[in-house]
Amino acid sequence: MDITMRITYKMMTTKYTTNLNNMSSELDKLNTQVASGRKFAKTSDDTSSAIKAYQIRRNMAKVEGYQNNVDHAKDFLTNSETNLNDINATLSDATVKIQEGKNGTQSSDSRKIIANELRVMQNQLLDTLNSSVSDTYIYGGSNTGEKPFTVESGKLFYNGVDLDTIADGSDELKKLSADSLYVDVGLGLSFDSTGAVNRNSVFNYSIPGINIVGNGKTADGGSNNLYSLLGDIATQFESASFSSDTSDTIDKLFGQFQTASSKANQVTTEIGSKTNYLDFMTDRYDAQSLNMQARQTDVEGIDAAYTYIAFQTQKVAYQAALQMGTSIIQSSVFDYMS
Amino acid sequence: MSSTFLAFNVASRAMEASQATINVTGNNIANINTEGYSRQRVDINAITSGGGIQKYAAPQISTGMGAKAVGTSQMRDPFLDARFRSQNAEASQYDKMITGLSDLENIFDEAQTDGLQTELSNFIDTLQTFSETPTSVDIAQVTRTEAQKVTQMMNMYANQIKDVRKQQVDDLTVVVSNDVNAAVKSIANLNDQIRTEEIYGNIPNDLYDQRNSLIDDLSGIANIKVNRTPEKISEDLTVDRLSISLVDKNTGNSIGLVDNDKYNTVELVDTGDKVELFLKETGSVDKDITNLFSDGSVKGYLNLINGNGSFADPSIKENDSKGIPYYQKTMDIFASKFAEVFNKINSIVDPADPALKPLFTNTTGGIGSTITAANIQVSQAWLDNPSYISTTNNPSDPTDLLDPTGTPGSADNVLRMISTMNVDQEFEGVPGDPLTTTFKGTFNEYMTGILGDVSMDVELNTNFASTSKNVLDSVSTSRESVSGVNLNEEGTNLMAYQKVYNAAIRYFNVLDENLNTIINTMGQ
Repeated sequence: MDITMRITYKMMTTKYTTNLNNMSSELDKLNTQVASGRKFAKTSDDTSSAIKAYQIRRNMAKVEGYQNNVDHAKDFLTNSETNLNDINATLSDATVKIQEGKNGTQSSDSRKIIANELRVMQNQLLDTLNSSVSDTYIYGGSNTGEKPFTVESGKLFYNGVDLDTIADGSDELKKLSADSLYVDVGLGLSFDSTGAVNRNSVFNYSIPGINIVGNGKTADGGSNNLYSLLGDIATQFESASFSSDTSDTIDKLFGQFQTASSKANQVTTEIGSKTNYLDFMTDRYDAQSLNMQARQTDVEGIDAAYTYIAFQTQKVAYQAALQMGTSIIQSSVFDYMS
Repeated sequence: MSSTFLAFNVASRAMEASQATINVTGNNIANINTEGYSRQRVDINAITSGGGIQKYAAPQISTGMGAKAVGTSQMRDPFLDARFRSQNAEASQYDKMITGLSDLENIFDEAQTDGLQTELSNFIDTLQTFSETPTSVDIAQVTRTEAQKVTQMMNMYANQIKDVRKQQVDDLTVVVSNDVNAAVKSIANLNDQIRTEEIYGNIPNDLYDQRNSLIDDLSGIANIKVNRTPEKISEDLTVDRLSISLVDKNTGNSIGLVDNDKYNTVELVDTGDKVELFLKETGSVDKDITNLFSDGSVKGYLNLINGNGSFADPSIKENDSKGIPYYQKTMDIFASKFAEVFNKINSIVDPADPALKPLFTNTTGGIGSTITAANIQVSQAWLDNPSYISTTNNPSDPTDLLDPTGTPGSADNVLRMISTMNVDQEFEGVPGDPLTTTFKGTFNEYMTGILGDVSMDVELNTNFASTSKNVLDSVSTSRESVSGVNLNEEGTNLMAYQKVYNAAIRYFNVLDENLNTIINTMGQ
């Protein structure tokens, strides 16, 4: 300011009012910050922080979605595991019974009783394979609305296909055993060139029943799945004459039955490792969630101590300005004229 | 030899002059707080003797004949006035931009409220839940409701933007009809009055102040320029002819608003997607002066109402600041793209002909580029049947293309929808033309981008306004320094001229005594 400039009454009042106004608006801003705990009330107050905040919010919402999917998969696997334990228990019981029946000292009547028991276990197996949770069949792969396992003219059908016709190594087998339910757990969902979901980028959480029961035919031309094997063994026990041929047939069938049972056991291990993986994902997402919350507070929230001190300082300055003003404006030469 | 009573005239003139000054000082003090008042000063000239040119000149002791108050003038610097006015135009423009852009920002802002960004995130979350049990009709309904929330949010944004536009246009109409036209008319009237007074030889200070005040107000509204041309009335008298014109400082084009007592009015025409300003001259065709406004609050309004941002066509001189049309267009691009992408995924039977199973349409069921943010809605087919959303695209029989329910438990289509919310999309200014891509990013990033745009504009204009206001204050202070009343000065003047008055009376007494001595005492 030029020192030879005239200072007029109006200039002083205008300048004083402007300064007071600036101070009180700064005071108001600090007050709002302290009261709301937020650094910015609207985006334009601090655009770069706000944009970062929106990114964080977005990511938090995404992680929440993944966490929900992980929980859903865990629940489903738990159900699958429980039912699978039942199946394995049935298979152990069946093994014991078959060994009992194979013993040459059994009478034909007791063998018939055993055969009946085996048929009961067959039905138990079928029921458990067709178990459902909240109207969803859990062992049918992507067929969740209809019973996956049906019996037609004594043959076991999986999703409408005769299991005997599905040979090892065939494309059909590949398709059916890979057809499980899946969710996106944040592994980077992607699609292949045909537009189909890339199975490596999602989490498969259901067990297709065909992997439990087995498929195809044996070298002798008989069915090679658990259900049919049990039935065939029971038929052998029911035969009127028990010759060494029958014994040999039963032994062969029993061998195949045990091979098939061990496959079913392996599935339990598979479920175990999947559940472990899901636990790992849960921990990871929990940690990520916490980190993001901390960052969000950083970006959107105020440093309470600093802001409160700034507020108090501003209040003191404002009061000082108010006090000073009254003394500047009043005096002029008229006050001293007689 | 000077006449006897000449000295008395000197004394009486001294008293008159002091009295005049004291009166003016009183006037200044009374008007210390009057808006637009310029302090006045009495012009006092010393009166000299005519000089006696005679045939036989004899040297005389010549004395002056006192003082005479010839007039009252006001202290005003026209240069500072001009600077103030141009600065005022700039500061007003930024102020107006801040107000309007803040209104727009409130529509998109999500700092403390939930807006479209939150709804989009919720939609992704709902799709994730849907992917867990894609055959559940309940969850399908929830998904549809969430989709409705997204489209309704878009509708709301579009409607609010329209409301802001209506408000701005209404405001501008008021500014044009009241502030501009009324001011222009008043100034012309004042010009006439002032001219009449000046011709009669008066100095109408109050009328000057009034006129300057009106011109100051007008300067905040538009980029005006004041011209004074001297006009010769008679041999001894020249008066100023004041004219005001609208001058575009970029192109130099100008148009007259006021010329002495004649004036032109401005009219606003709203064509729906932009406003135009016309100059109404009597006896002449209306002229489009929209592009002549380059400063002032009118420019601020025009930027907001007509601003087409990056979609502006420079060949027809469209306004290229980011205003309401720009944001309307960006929202429409968003809505159109959103519908296009989801309709495509849902129409998995024949992706080449997405009309088959659209999830989102406009209010009459149309799709494609006819979908805007204002008319996007969930399709009637989906409203009628919550399971209209295709969750999978594996047909049961590969030869039967019209039956996509082969693997109903699979959620691959839902995952496609989730994925599409998370991958970059290309948002095209002209749908189908990749050369007009305005943005490449996810849907959420696009909305964040829009919010970022408008917030940055608000921040920027706030900074501009603050700087501009500082300069304006500084010029205003300079102006006040020249024209303002200083109590100390006036007080001193009061005391001084009172002393002069007393001294003049003393002098009068002395003269009186002298004359008394001559008349009554001489020759006794």
